[in-house]
Amino acid sequence: MYSPNDQMRLARAYVPFQIYSERLNPMEGLMKGTIFPELYFPYREHKR
Amino acid sequence: MNREQLCQLKELMALEFTALELHLYLDTHPTDQRALMDYNSVVQQLTIARQRYQERYGPITYGEPSAYPWQWINEPWPWEICYE
Repeated sequence: MYSPNDQMRLARAYVPFQIYSERLNPMEGLMKGTIFPELYFPYREHKR
Repeated sequence: MNREQLCQLKELMALEFTALELHLYLDTHPTDQRALMDYNSVVQQLTIARQRYQERYGPITYGEPSAYPWQWINEPWPWEICYE
């Protein structure tokens, strides 16, 4: 285990700023759950 | 609910979702002019679509006018609709 005295830094989170470029048409957006193509990350079936 | 009504209802839901998404985006990007123009255009389409739907099929939310007889109690209820 690391002790708190080590020169370890706390975690920091970074989120890039979204820039609007294009959007899906309303029906496609509704079905996919987002109108932003860059935010569409569907879960895929996982093979074990 | 006939096919025509279902089709219009889905169109309404899709426009509402797009308006909501752009709304949320604009909350964090209030100076994005293109997104704002897009939002205003979608909201305008939504207003027209909602009015057209309600004139034909009755109110979809409270605070809306109704034809006679009182249309609010008309079936199907939202959870009874087969959206497929």
